Amino acid sequence: MLVLAFFEFSPRRSGTPFLGLGADNPFVGLEHFRQMFDFADTAPLEVRQFHTALKVTLLFAFLIVPLNLAITLPLAAMIESVGRRSRVWFRTVFFLPVLTSAVGVAIIWGFVLHPQRGLLNALISRVTGGSTVIAWTTDPNLSFLGIPIALLAVSVAYLWQDIGYNLVIFVAALQAVPDSVKEAALVDGASAGQRFRLITLPLLKPTILLASVLTMISAFQVFDLFQVMTDGGPEDQTRALSLDIYQNAFRFQRMGWAAAVSLVLFLVVFTISRAQSRLLRTDWEY
Amino acid sequence: MATVASVPRRGALARHRATRAALYAALIAFGIVAALPFVWMILASLKTGAEIRQFPPTFFPQAPTLANYGTIVSDPELPLELFYRNSLFVALSNVVTTLFTSSLLGYVLAKYRFRGRQALFWFVLATMMIPAQVTMIPGYLILLQLGLLNNLWGLVLPAFIDAFGVFVMRQFILSISDDEIWSARVDGASEWRIYRSVVLPQLKPVLATLGMLTFMFNWNAYLWPLIVLTEQDKRTLPIILTWYQTQRTAQLELVMAASVLMVIPVLLVFAASQKWIVRGLTLTGGK
Repeated sequence: MLVLAFFEFSPRRSGTPFLGLGADNPFVGLEHFRQMFDFADTAPLEVRQFHTALKVTLLFAFLIVPLNLAITLPLAAMIESVGRRSRVWFRTVFFLPVLTSAVGVAIIWGFVLHPQRGLLNALISRVTGGSTVIAWTTDPNLSFLGIPIALLAVSVAYLWQDIGYNLVIFVAALQAVPDSVKEAALVDGASAGQRFRLITLPLLKPTILLASVLTMISAFQVFDLFQVMTDGGPEDQTRALSLDIYQNAFRFQRMGWAAAVSLVLFLVVFTISRAQSRLLRTDWEY
Repeated sequence: MATVASVPRRGALARHRATRAALYAALIAFGIVAALPFVWMILASLKTGAEIRQFPPTFFPQAPTLANYGTIVSDPELPLELFYRNSLFVALSNVVTTLFTSSLLGYVLAKYRFRGRQALFWFVLATMMIPAQVTMIPGYLILLQLGLLNNLWGLVLPAFIDAFGVFVMRQFILSISDDEIWSARVDGASEWRIYRSVVLPQLKPVLATLGMLTFMFNWNAYLWPLIVLTEQDKRTLPIILTWYQTQRTAQLELVMAASVLMVIPVLLVFAASQKWIVRGLTLTGGK
């Protein structure tokens, strides 16, 4: 792998018998990594696409993590506080998308967001009384707060799929908080909001850190949703790094370049994992 | 907890009831939103083609019909039985190999003392951190050299050892007491026999969880099968589903019926056994 990134490699060309490298697949040294820093408009297409992909992936990951936590934490607190039987019921409902294949999720959401036949446009039309036809995943000119709508559409589908996972982890962590702590707060007359802010959040801190890092790492690697829902479009607005690597390697046969890009992805994930172990060192017990 | 809450002040009971009602209302609302895409898919699969193409779309089918399922099952372009068989073969083979290698390696890493044990364990952990996108290109080239492209074994052999599984098993086996293993050894049991009759029986719950996670992961896998399998009749369900979607863009009712057939059966099995999966997830915190 490490070796490949330094070659202009394609399995279609012949090389020397040794791994097919050399000859028509020449050694290019650090050339690929040097090209990555070419920010001029004249840079080769794959370099500009790499810059786009890096931006899209970072935006996606930093969008997913806060939104995921903002939904799962209160939801977990709510689910934990209902009776045992309803808890299992709600947990199942939110957990089913986790078990669904990402391809299934992409197809279901593609249909929900379909311009003419989709549920979302139908609901908006019903509420506004007009007939809304918004191409959520294909119109390049739509954006919200500077974020392309297509990227938001994939984010919503991913959130829908991924929420049940953190939910299960948080509910389990909440159940591990001793009842004496919760009851003491109740007797002292703390409101639900206060209990959430002053007890739930601080006690769950290690779990929240772990969950946010795991969520971020997996957000960096999402492939199926991007490929099936948008295939990187419109105008590369949803071209994630994993999709960029796949297309370069297997559609355009630029395996050396793809290997170099995948090393960048690895470095990003690795750095975040390191930061995680540092953050988690604040671990403590009750 | 409810009784504790109702003791302190007057009016607290009524307020408590109101909060509970609001809580349930909010949860049910969230639950409906979460279930809506599934419901939309299932309802669409019951509509006629004409109704699907209506604008604005209807929510409930006007004349529910199972005809779409009939069309799909008898579609010669989509031999579902074959693709189910491919998917099942890959998923089940991976379950068997993963359970075997994980429990064996986990046992060795947990209970045997040898030079380099710690290094080996860290090596296993390190491979867990490498994203699939990084290993897919060299993995593809290796399969190319071995002539395993376009072969279902190409989805089984590279996954022969699963780092996550080894890690989980090792953690679990650490809690098995050494005394039992030693007493079996003193009684003259072979190492293989100890693994089979002393260690394995105690692993049942964690084997069940790991088995289900492995099955689910392989059943849903998309990227790697997409790269390895290039011939239509070798492909697994998720890839076939995306292919079918591109073939029938104008007949969404058929695509939805196909999605239901491929998504719902597995979902039902796992919803029934989710207790195990949830336990596995919280046990390990792994993803």
